[in-house]
Amino acid sequence: MIAQTQMQTSGEPALLKLRGVSRRYGDVTAVQPLDLDIFPRDFVAILGPSGCGKTTLLRIIGGFVAPTTGTIEIDGRDVTGIGPEKRPTNTVFQGYGLFPHMSVRQNIGYGLRLQKRPRSEIDDRVAEALRLSRLSELADRSVTALSGGQQQRVALARALILRPKVLLLDEPLAALDLKLRHAMQDELRRLHQEFGGTFVFVTHDQGEALSLANRIAVMNAGRIEQEGGAETIYAAPATRFVATFIGDANLLDGERRDGEVRLAAGPAFADAGPAGAVSVVVRPKSVSILGEGEHAEVELAGTVAEVVYLGDHIKCTVGAAGGQSVVVHLDAATASRPAVGDKVRLGWQLSKQRIVSA
Amino acid sequence: MSKGANLLWAVVAALFIVFMLSPIVLLVMFSFTSRTLTNFPIDGLSFRWWQEMVVTRQFWPSFANSLIIGFCVAVVSGVVGTLAAMGLAAMPKRHASVIMALLTLPVMLPPLVLGVALLSFYVSVDLKLGLPTVILSHVLFAQPFVILVVHARMVNFDPRVVESARDLGATPLQAFLTVTLPIIRPVVIGAALIAMALSIDDFIITFFTIGTGNTLPTLVWGMIRTGLTPTVNAIGTLILLLTIGSTVVALWLTRYRG
Repeated sequence: MIAQTQMQTSGEPALLKLRGVSRRYGDVTAVQPLDLDIFPRDFVAILGPSGCGKTTLLRIIGGFVAPTTGTIEIDGRDVTGIGPEKRPTNTVFQGYGLFPHMSVRQNIGYGLRLQKRPRSEIDDRVAEALRLSRLSELADRSVTALSGGQQQRVALARALILRPKVLLLDEPLAALDLKLRHAMQDELRRLHQEFGGTFVFVTHDQGEALSLANRIAVMNAGRIEQEGGAETIYAAPATRFVATFIGDANLLDGERRDGEVRLAAGPAFADAGPAGAVSVVVRPKSVSILGEGEHAEVELAGTVAEVVYLGDHIKCTVGAAGGQSVVVHLDAATASRPAVGDKVRLGWQLSKQRIVSA
Repeated sequence: MSKGANLLWAVVAALFIVFMLSPIVLLVMFSFTSRTLTNFPIDGLSFRWWQEMVVTRQFWPSFANSLIIGFCVAVVSGVVGTLAAMGLAAMPKRHASVIMALLTLPVMLPPLVLGVALLSFYVSVDLKLGLPTVILSHVLFAQPFVILVVHARMVNFDPRVVESARDLGATPLQAFLTVTLPIIRPVVIGAALIAMALSIDDFIITFFTIGTGNTLPTLVWGMIRTGLTPTVNAIGTLILLLTIGSTVVALWLTRYRG
């Protein structure tokens, strides 16, 4: 899915350009000065824990919060000082912000009515939007009578009918239950493909970010820690934070000296770079338990501390030297299941690990 | 609790309720008496005092004044109070509650003190007493109720609804007219009707600030100085109908449930 939605972005100029954008509230800095480029037809996730400034950043793009410093450019036009009603962006808010005194049809047609479009055009486009979002049956219901998923579809239709250059979504799936969330993810993916627009959404759920977005900006404490393709972010995290926030990761303490990294847990390997403390990131499923005579590029010995059966895999925690512990994910169908207290040798390939500054 | 004690409390409560309500019931009853005095026994029912009321020389001007003042107070305090409530709802809670306490001060003051204060104020700034001064004075004590009621609605107002409107292309004014106002309209109208009810039954402040004219309450006061005829009861019943009527409509519109 990711490979499918991955768009070729090179060569085209950025659609949305943030330069030196920051936001302070009194003494609190919600967003540190940052740059961000978003390209046409991208589906971008701004991912981070709560309080990291991701929603503030989205509101700055939408025009609901004025940045303390910096400029915002959309499609070559500086919109920094322009209100939300004049920006080529539309937003699906958390909680949706539907108009409770209007029907589904009136909600969806609101933007077009403000644009004073001819009656017939409004009717046609609303009917089309209703059909695309499978809301035709509910067109004349009050929005307060709808389920969460239906309300979400109304909010999406109401925003997309204006054909925004950038659609902004604030935690679009947070209010839905698990089953509905998966259905809505498919719906968002479908809409993004059919609509061919640029979507930017904010989420704290790394799974959601990975499954929907082709590009991810990981935020922490008001900063963008890493921005890139979804696969790159997962496979090659740039910082400790990104490594631990996206997917499960083992973080092993180590020290680099004279072109060699030595881990507290034992092994050492060559790695050029400045001297100092480093962390080695390796995903649990990249680590294997080595049998007699088997070898790997990085090896360490330890004692099994915990074995947990998780249905599709077994999570095995191994205590190693220096107080380090390593989590290994084993295939549940694996023949030999280790027992607590077993002495084991763990190993992984150098290409599966990432070295980040500690 | 024993059965006897229960019964005792029930009797006390019943007596209390009778004492609270009987003056109102009597007022209405005596307005329909066929006798010339407001006392028992009531021999028969008639509309003679209601007929008497409508031919009283002062009745129609006073009735008109009451309605004009009530209507203007409703409109002015409805509009200004709503704007104030919206502003307060957008402020930090701590600041808002201080300002609200200040605005509510005229309601806490004894009406007599407020009436004297207003009279001295109007005289000192050389404002001619009349309906406008009464309206101003009523707004002073009716407006806090509007602010409190509308503010209670505004703090629960989902700001994302307004943000959505802005996002979809509405200017701040368009967002207010097409989204905020339609949603809070019942509460605003209800609050304005409460202000009208407060205005229509006010006597003390009207008495000090009206100068020469009359409203229904000041007319009643003037009439009982010469004698308690059942006409007074008829006017009293009319005031009762006006204020209870607008309050009931107000409570229904604001969905106030206790």
